[in-house]
This record gives sequence, structure tokens and C-alpha cells, in this order.
Amino acid sequence: MSVLAEVVTVLLNGLQQGAIYVLVAIGLSIILGTLKFVNFAHGALYLIGTYAGLLITLEINVTDGKLADWGYATIGLGWGFLAALIIVPIIVFGVGLLMERFVARPFYDRPDTDQILLTFGLAIVIQEVFKILFGGQSYNFARPGWASGQVGLPIIGTFPEWRLYIIGITAAVVVLVYGLIEYTDFGLVVRAGTRDAEMVELLGIKLSRPYLMVFGVGAALAGVAGVVGGPLYAVNPNIGTEVLVPSFLVVVIGGVGSIAGAVLGGILIGETLAVLVAVAPQWSQVGIYVLAAVVLLARPQGLLGSEEVAP
Amino acid sequence: MARREKSDVSRRDVVKMAGASGIAGLAGVTGSASAQEYPPIGNFPIQGEAATFGFTVPQSGPYSSEGQDELRAYKLAVEHLNSGGGWVDSWDGLSGNGVLDKEIDFVSGDTATDADQARQTARRMIQRDQAIMLSGGSSSAVAIAIQELCQREKVQYQCCLTHSNETTGKNCVRYSFREMFNAYMTAQALVPPVTKEYGNDQQFYQLYADYTWGKTVESSVQKFFSEAGWSQINSVATPLGTKDFSSYLSQVPRQETDVLFLDHYGLDGANSLSQAISMGLDNDMEIIVPLYNRPMAQAAAGAIEGVFGTVAWDSQIDNKPSNDFTQAFQDKYARIPSGPAQLAYAQTLQYAAAVERAGTFYPPEVIKQLEGYEYDNFGMGPELMRKCDHQALRAVPVVKGLPEDQQQQGQYFEIVNLTPRDQIGYACDEGPAARCDLGSYE
Repeated sequence: MSVLAEVVTVLLNGLQQGAIYVLVAIGLSIILGTLKFVNFAHGALYLIGTYAGLLITLEINVTDGKLADWGYATIGLGWGFLAALIIVPIIVFGVGLLMERFVARPFYDRPDTDQILLTFGLAIVIQEVFKILFGGQSYNFARPGWASGQVGLPIIGTFPEWRLYIIGITAAVVVLVYGLIEYTDFGLVVRAGTRDAEMVELLGIKLSRPYLMVFGVGAALAGVAGVVGGPLYAVNPNIGTEVLVPSFLVVVIGGVGSIAGAVLGGILIGETLAVLVAVAPQWSQVGIYVLAAVVLLARPQGLLGSEEVAP
Repeated sequence: MARREKSDVSRRDVVKMAGASGIAGLAGVTGSASAQEYPPIGNFPIQGEAATFGFTVPQSGPYSSEGQDELRAYKLAVEHLNSGGGWVDSWDGLSGNGVLDKEIDFVSGDTATDADQARQTARRMIQRDQAIMLSGGSSSAVAIAIQELCQREKVQYQCCLTHSNETTGKNCVRYSFREMFNAYMTAQALVPPVTKEYGNDQQFYQLYADYTWGKTVESSVQKFFSEAGWSQINSVATPLGTKDFSSYLSQVPRQETDVLFLDHYGLDGANSLSQAISMGLDNDMEIIVPLYNRPMAQAAAGAIEGVFGTVAWDSQIDNKPSNDFTQAFQDKYARIPSGPAQLAYAQTLQYAAAVERAGTFYPPEVIKQLEGYEYDNFGMGPELMRKCDHQALRAVPVVKGLPEDQQQQGQYFEIVNLTPRDQIGYACDEGPAARCDLGSYE
């Protein structure tokens, strides 16, 4: 493999790995930036998205857990991947609304530590519920047939088709969310509320509804990440926790509340991982934390974060 | 911490000495021969009517589904020991009426596949529950941690699933026995069928899990395949718990590599194999996963098609002991047992049979019964539990993954070869055994 081909492969790998973190991190970031709510249960939304996607896309055999004990040896709708890509965000959006109303809202005025304890506990509860229902076993989330092969690319030869789709879907979703926040009346209210909530309410605009929507949209994004990321890795109840920490790093690096920051942070983390694996594999896991530490030291509000909106 | 451990042990010893001397004083009345003949050690003599076994299995964490299957098998073994059934009916020396007239009781605890938690669980079983024997799996780091504790506490440990060379190599102990083969034997067993299929002059590349188990697999594969005429291009360590292997896999030189070894286990193995297939590496090279297990095959699904590996045991092995066990397990749980489940069941019965032969639960005597013991009841043909390192010399099943449409509940592989024990293994002064020093009986 030529040096150029190797460099391009590493960059594409990094872009794809970063894409999942971008999707999860945007939700985290807008919820944290707008509502000042630290949501450690965001990974659990990813978990719900992945299992929901799995069950809508395929029919799976369950051998462990309560569902198997209750006689549900095979469950799932088998409607295919596109159905999952449309339905799952709606489901997780609904879960997000419930979470905002009954979990987050009573805690908006409480200290960060209370919010962290609450949502961390909730994440564990959700994870354990999945473990009880589906057992601790891992499931194979097969890639959709139309994207399971290789695609020929100039310079590098071939690349797994599904990983290219992930980059594409992420880009489309990011543009959509960016448009929603920057160019709609809803987005205007949200942005104004982020700057000065008291003034917006004095002008007669009730913020509780836009806030509810922000939470729902953030949750739906985690759901999308769960569906598109599901086929990359074996599915088990721990995946939510595993995706949460790198996603928080993305928020820290990119800057709280900034969509562009989340994209930049995600790409940086993905590329750091990919490049380090290629040159110094033993440092690959440490590298992303070093990156976060350096950014925090040099620019505490994150690369594209502004100081006013930092919590 | 150290002080507390010490005081716990001595307090227990004092109680036991008092109990033993009390019983000795009543000799003739109680008729307790073992208490008269043997001094107290570990949790011997057993207080009360029941002997307690302690089962240390992962009940949380990524291996919890394996742990659940092991626990099912352990419960089945205890049930058969107390009431007959399964192998107990055909095993000379096991009565189906307890062991040495003692009913068998058990406690189970979670290791969470974490050495520290496993050690705490095991210590609780030894000190609070007075377990006379511990057994469990399924991680080499966990097995090594528990067996070290068992050697100190003088309580016997029957390894379940642990595959590192070091369990019966440099970390071996007198109080632990391993039925499972190791990485060294896996590599030996793989060479004949793999070189027959792929040829004698191949170039291979390895990715391996960066801890004790992965390192011993990597070194064993390199040793035996190099001796068979293959040459290694490179081997790269991947951190334990890596989810996305795509960056590692894209480093594999497609033109030069004929065979790729993925020395990963469990979830890591399922992910690395699936990702290798999705990147199309199987179009350019053959892939081998040295150690398979069922949850891993389940998670990797169609990706295991045609991929060589070894398994602890498989329900398709067609002989009386294997079939009897599969039948008993299915009757009880309506499911096909996994390899680790068979190990768990067999290890419990091996221990019970050794106690019966010894005529006492006194650990040094039970250990001597197992050392050098030849048997043929395990479903793997004739076996020897070697005295020098407590490693079983046994056949190793080499398997190939089935295509997804042929996979059924509990059946994911076809057996290519049950490599007989005389084609694998090593002498007591070579290989991992050369570094083994078992320690004392008492």
C-alpha cells in the first residue's frame, strides 16, 4: 500500500469513528448548552436506540434473560434498516420528552452534582433493565444487505460501504440540526433563551416548550447514532456507557452548546484514535484524553465554545 | 488489610482446632475417622452435615451469559451428586447420595470478570461460607487470582474456563487443577488441519489482546506455525476492550498476508472478526480465531463461516459421556449446553470422585488422588491429569464456523478434528510446565 493510500485510509477511518461520537455529542452539547443540564443518561438513549433499531430491523433469537424465560425465543419485527432509521429517532424523541418532563425538569435548578448523580443512576437502571430482559449476551446487528459490501474508491482501493454511509448520514443529520437551530423561529428562541432566559420570558415567550423540544431532539440524535452505529459492533447492554465518555470528551474539546464544535471535536477524536493506532497503537486509548487535557489547558471553553454559554 | 486477613485466618483456625479436638475427644462416639487421622487445614474438617462448594462465575459484565451457563451446569452437578442422574449414574465411585455421606450444598458469587472482585468473592466463600472447594471461570486473570488465594487458604480450586499458558505454567499452584487446554496446545492442535488446508508456506499476521492470555496465544501461534514452515509478517497488540478494530485491520498488508490470526476472545473477538469480514479481508486472506466460545460465535453470526478455531467442548462431539451430559442439561433447562458449561459440570464431579477415592475431604489426600489420575469419562477420550503441573493432557476439538443459515440455537461450528492428546502437549521440563512450581500440600 502506498503512503498516500495509507494516509487516506487512516483519515477515512478516523472520520467514520468520529461520526458516531459527533451524533451523540451534538445532543449532549445542545442539552448542556441550552438547558444547563448534565445528562449522564445520554449514553442510555444510545443504548435504547440501538436495541430498538435491532428489533425493528431484524428478528433475533433470545437465549438469555427474562424475555427468553417468558417464552419469547424470537422477537423483532424484521422490517429492515430504513424503517428503523425512520422509526427509532421518533421513539427515542418520545423517550427524551418523558425524560425531560419527569427527570430533568425537577432538577434544572439543582447543582451539577445532583444532576450527575441522578442521570448516572438512571443510566445504570436502564442498562440493567436491558440486561434483565435480553440477558448479558451480545447480539449481531447485521448490516443492511444493500450496504454490507465493499465500495471501490480511488487511491485506497476498497472501503466498507457501511462506514461510508455512516459518514454520509451523519453529515446530513448535522446539516439538518444546524439548519433547525440557526434558521428557524424555534432555533431563534432557543438561542435567545441560551443567552438570557429571563429576558426572553419577560418578552412573553414561554421557554418550557422549546426546552422540551431541545431535549427531545438531542435524544433523537442519540437514537440515530444508536441505529447507524449498531451494525458496527456487537450489541450488548454496556454499549451506552462505552460511548458516553468519548462523547463527553468531544463536547469538552469542541465547546459546550456549539454544533460546529461538536463536529470538530468528533473529527479530532476520531482522527487522533486512527492516527495513533497506525503509528503507536499502545498510546491510542490515552491519546484522546491527552488531546482533551491540552485543549482544556489552552482554551477552557473548548475550541469553538464561547465563554458566555459555558455553564 | 493484610492484618485483617491474617487475623481472620487465625481465628478460623482456632475455631477449627477447637472443633477438631472436641471431636477427637469424643472419638468412638462420633466415629469421625477423618478428623482423627488428619489435622485441620483450610476448611477441613467440614463442620455440619453438608459440604459447601463455592462457584465463582461472572454474573455481570461482558461474560455474564457464559457465567449463567456455567452456573446452570454447576447446579446440575450438585443436584446429580445429591440425587443421582447425569454422569453420576454411570460414574463408578459416585453414589448419587451426596459425597462421603455428606449432602452437597453450594454458594455462588459474582466475579464480574475482574480479578479484584473475584478475589473478594472467593475470600467470602472461604471464610464466611466455609467452602471446601471452589470452581469457576472464565478469564485467566481471574483464575490466576483465585488460585493464588486458594493456595494460601488451602482450599481446592477446580479451574473452569482459563486458557492462558500461565495458569498451569509460571502461576501454577498445588491446590488448583485445570481440565481446559491452554494456548500452547491450541496452537499445536491447529497446525495439522490448518497447514493441511492452507499449505506449508504461508505468511501470517497477528492481532492479539494485550494481556496475559493474548500474549501467550500470540507467542504460541508464532512458535508452532513458524516451526511448521510459516513466517510471521508482524504481530500487533490491541488494548483489551477495543471496540473498533478498523484502524488495526486496515494496517494488515493485504498483498503479503495469507493468514490473519485474531487472538481476541469474547466480545473483542466478535467485533474484530465481524469487522475484518466487513472490510473484505476474507477475500484476500484466510482468518483464524484461535479460541472460540459460543456467545462470541452468536455475536459474530455469519462472520465465523469457514473460520478455524478451537473450543473447550461442543455438544456435537458424539460419544456417550458427551451425549449423556447434553441430554441431562437439555432435560433440565431445555437448551444445549456450551463448552464452559460442560467444563463446570465435569470439574465438580471430578472433585467429588477424587474425594470418594480418597475417603476423606482432607485436601492433600484429595489432591493426591487427582495427581496422575487417568480417566476416560469426560467425553474427550483418554485423559491424564498430570502430576507435575496439574494440567490435563487431553484431546482438543478443532472447529470451523458454520454459515449463518446452518447455525442453530447452540450449534455454531462443525468439528474438523478432535486432535488426540498424543499429538499435543509438552513434557514436564519444557514449555509452560518448565516454569511451574506447584508449592506445598500443607
